[in-house]
Amino acid sequence: MTWTGVLKGGVFVLTLAVLPLLGLPHWVLNMLIFVLMFAALASAWNLVGGLTGYPSLGHAAFFGIGAYAFALLLHGQTELTDGWQPFAWLPAIGVGTALIGVPIAAIAMRTRADVFAIVTITLLFVVQTLAFNLHGLTGGAQGLSFPVAPFPADTFERPFYYVLLGLLVLAMLLTFGTLSSKIGLALATVRGDEDKARGLGIPVGSAKVLAFAVSVGLTAMVGAVWAYYQVGIIYPQFAVDPLITIAMVLMVFLGGRGTLWGPVLGAFVLESGQQYLAYELGPSQFYLIAYAMIFLLIMLVLPRGVLPSIAGRLR
Amino acid sequence: MGEPVHALVQGLILGVLTGGVYALMASGQTLVFGIMKVVNLAQGALVILGAYLSYQLFVSFGIDPFLAIPVTTAVMFALGVGVHLAFLRPLRREDRAELSLLVTFAVALLIEGVIGVVWSTTRRSINTSYANDSWTVAGYQITVVRFAAFALSAGALGLLILVLHRTRFGRAVRATVQNPESARLLGVRAERVAALGFGLGAATAAAAGSVYGLLYPFNAGSHYDLISLLLSIVVLGGLGSIGGAIAGAMIVSVSSAVVATTVSPSWAPMTFFVLLLAVLLVRPQGLFGRPA
Amino acid sequence: MSTNNRLWRAGLATGAALALAACSSSGSGSGGSSAAPKSPLVIGASVSLTGDFADSGKAVKAGYELWADTVNAKGGVLGRTVQMKIVDDTSSPNQVVTNYQNLIDKDKVDLVFGPFSSLLTVPASQVAKRYGYAFLEPAGGGPAVFAQKLPNLFFVQPAPVVKQGDVFADWVLSLPPAQRPATAAYTELDDPFATPVAENVRLRFEAAGIKTVYKQVYPAETQDFSTIMAKVAEAKPDVLVGGTQSEDAYGQVKSLVQLKFSPKFMFLSNGANSPVEFPDKVGAGNTAGIMSSGDWFPASKAYGSDEFAAAYVKKYGGTTDTIDNTSAEAYAAGQLVEAVATKTGKIDNATIIATLHQGTWPTVLGDLSWDAVGRPSGSFALIQWQNGKLVPVYPATVAQAQPVSPKPGWGG
Repeated sequence: MTWTGVLKGGVFVLTLAVLPLLGLPHWVLNMLIFVLMFAALASAWNLVGGLTGYPSLGHAAFFGIGAYAFALLLHGQTELTDGWQPFAWLPAIGVGTALIGVPIAAIAMRTRADVFAIVTITLLFVVQTLAFNLHGLTGGAQGLSFPVAPFPADTFERPFYYVLLGLLVLAMLLTFGTLSSKIGLALATVRGDEDKARGLGIPVGSAKVLAFAVSVGLTAMVGAVWAYYQVGIIYPQFAVDPLITIAMVLMVFLGGRGTLWGPVLGAFVLESGQQYLAYELGPSQFYLIAYAMIFLLIMLVLPRGVLPSIAGRLR
Repeated sequence: MGEPVHALVQGLILGVLTGGVYALMASGQTLVFGIMKVVNLAQGALVILGAYLSYQLFVSFGIDPFLAIPVTTAVMFALGVGVHLAFLRPLRREDRAELSLLVTFAVALLIEGVIGVVWSTTRRSINTSYANDSWTVAGYQITVVRFAAFALSAGALGLLILVLHRTRFGRAVRATVQNPESARLLGVRAERVAALGFGLGAATAAAAGSVYGLLYPFNAGSHYDLISLLLSIVVLGGLGSIGGAIAGAMIVSVSSAVVATTVSPSWAPMTFFVLLLAVLLVRPQGLFGRPA
Repeated sequence: MSTNNRLWRAGLATGAALALAACSSSGSGSGGSSAAPKSPLVIGASVSLTGDFADSGKAVKAGYELWADTVNAKGGVLGRTVQMKIVDDTSSPNQVVTNYQNLIDKDKVDLVFGPFSSLLTVPASQVAKRYGYAFLEPAGGGPAVFAQKLPNLFFVQPAPVVKQGDVFADWVLSLPPAQRPATAAYTELDDPFATPVAENVRLRFEAAGIKTVYKQVYPAETQDFSTIMAKVAEAKPDVLVGGTQSEDAYGQVKSLVQLKFSPKFMFLSNGANSPVEFPDKVGAGNTAGIMSSGDWFPASKAYGSDEFAAAYVKKYGGTTDTIDNTSAEAYAAGQLVEAVATKTGKIDNATIIATLHQGTWPTVLGDLSWDAVGRPSGSFALIQWQNGKLVPVYPATVAQAQPVSPKPGWGG
């Protein structure tokens, strides 16, 4: 890790940390919350899809699991006195989901990458169906309610902002740690040629499972914060939504798979762009077409993503 | 005959009839994988597009969906070839496996967006004069539309298999599926086979789309549910095997209908997921697939 | 609405605003009043124009804009021209939150109206509450909305959604015991608005001794109703109560026609109240006798209804039968703003919140009034298909025909 790297990271975090205190209007903070949320999600996905080369198309399932876990933990209470207290559940949700992820990874990652993708899509729909059907637990289509966050209206966005920033930093630290460690090397060889890696004696199985578990644990924690920000009630079709996975994947691909800053860049560009465009361009059917065209353009023109392509040019 | 047995048999009949339609859709999907090792996530969207084309022909010109099939399949065949040439062929070989998933998904979104612009997101259905008719055979109810859909699907599948086994193109396809290197050595032009194969997959989607539009209401967003179902079927049956696609479709459709009848409709969608995961645990290559 | 049309409209609105600004900056008013022309009253709303709720979202937008045009033709609200600022939330709760944040905090609109669906109304109303904005919403009437206990929220329909079936139960239970159904079946869409409606009816029917012979809750993706309706037909209930939305309502009726089973009483909470879609989807001959509930219908005599219907047809074409009642509900929200302005001479959020909690307010949906958390205290009307038209049949205050019972068989 070079000193410029540390400096870049430090400036990045400090700038983001200071922003809410500068008196920015609520609507800007709101948009930043969604940007940070997706940056954390994209970084988490990168661990599995980027570093390891296993494109999971079902990550939204774990986002939903985190959201429902959070709602269930709070469900019994009628009112919240301390708004910060629910955040204390996050580590438990993260670790719990990671543990659930271990056996799933052990089974799902025995297959090829494309079959893995299909299994994860299937998992996504299984979780969504469960969310709809297990009325006793999740409230089904009626939604699951929990008390509203009692933060004052003036600074309502701040707690969510900071917690999400924290999760993003965590995700990036984990990514960095993985990239520069033996595990990162192991994963890189897996991505290149898995059989060769296994032949070389690299603990391929455990490396993959670990990456998957950490990735889904992070995803679940973000899901929990999202639920809290939804103030009061979550529904299955929004908590477990395939479009969330698509967004995560697209951001990583745009920024550059397997890089540290790629997913973050992808999130910043795409999420703020999407929210802004949807608001300004208004009633336009074209936004889906535009989305798809950007997607296709990136695949065809910048298959490596923005950052690696720039790095390639500069070399 | 007791009531529960009656309901069960009715469910089986429904499952078999519906399974035929899914088999047709899934065969196109598995064919594309067999040729190009590409999972086509746009197959669901292509089916829906086929449904819309039939719908438009019915609404504007009064053409019955079954009669519209020759037109829609021709159009969608060309579209499929075009999609392949525009979005899949430019991908470099080493990227293809990884990126094709996302590229085909983007194509699905593109199709969804275009459908939304042209036809808006109102749910449509094709209401022919015989849409509500049904026959009662031995005490069991068989809707005319569903039976006709099954008959058509069976016919189309038969045609597909005929093409694959009796034509030069079909032989080239099968050779490519079995052993790409040898096929190339024997003079098969892989890229051409791939493009035509993708077109063929889209054509099956068009035919299935016509009947799908008669059976169910649909809108631009209907392809998500459809694609997850199709993926489960082709993986269950074994990627690349048409026989597997047919078997997979039947198993999924029948078990789903049986669960809906005997347990509850809410749990029916889960059946194929559970089946899929179970099969993958025991036999990761699917029922008729070849080991990786 | 095409992009061109929208741009044209935006251009027109901008032109009007600029003209107003030009007038005021030129010093002396050019003829007419000596008072300075007032700033426009900007009302923001996030509506689903794409995505799952798109059809209804567009109907809401149509209603809001129609009201704006109508009131502007009469001189606006307190002399101020109404400008609707409508944005698309793509049927997403994330986007709806962002949209209301932007409308209120960035664009500083004067007032806001609600989105389509309780699912989006809940998060949106919380945003409005934080900024102290009144939240008149025509399409969020599920229990979750009122459970929030928001003082600034007003559901612009006669009653909470769960009460849609109550008027049917009222009528059935008002019949002499010999004419009442003895057995009942319930088919319920698993959805916050459909299931509670049917469940409410079931509880009342069971308490009155009507035996439940079959009940099935089905998921939203259900396409195929043959299995469920076959079980219904086998149970041979006197009355079928459907907690439905549109597609499933059509599916149920079509299945029953194919199964050749026609219950003596049939109530579908939604779907059957679509004047054009329903006969189109199930066959015009099959609609006779089916009941539903509604808050607006072409034959309504409520306040401003004729004017609304005429203006709608003039602006959007079609006939009064093709008017989606969602548009009427949206229009009513605007009527409330007009009414508050006329009564108090002011039109700010605090005034709206304080004023609407008292008294009753006449709209195209009838007279509306609310409790402290925005729950309306009226009831829906029971409507029935007779001779190819939807007519209100109960209660007597709104009935325009006698209810037909038992339901005629399928006409095919």
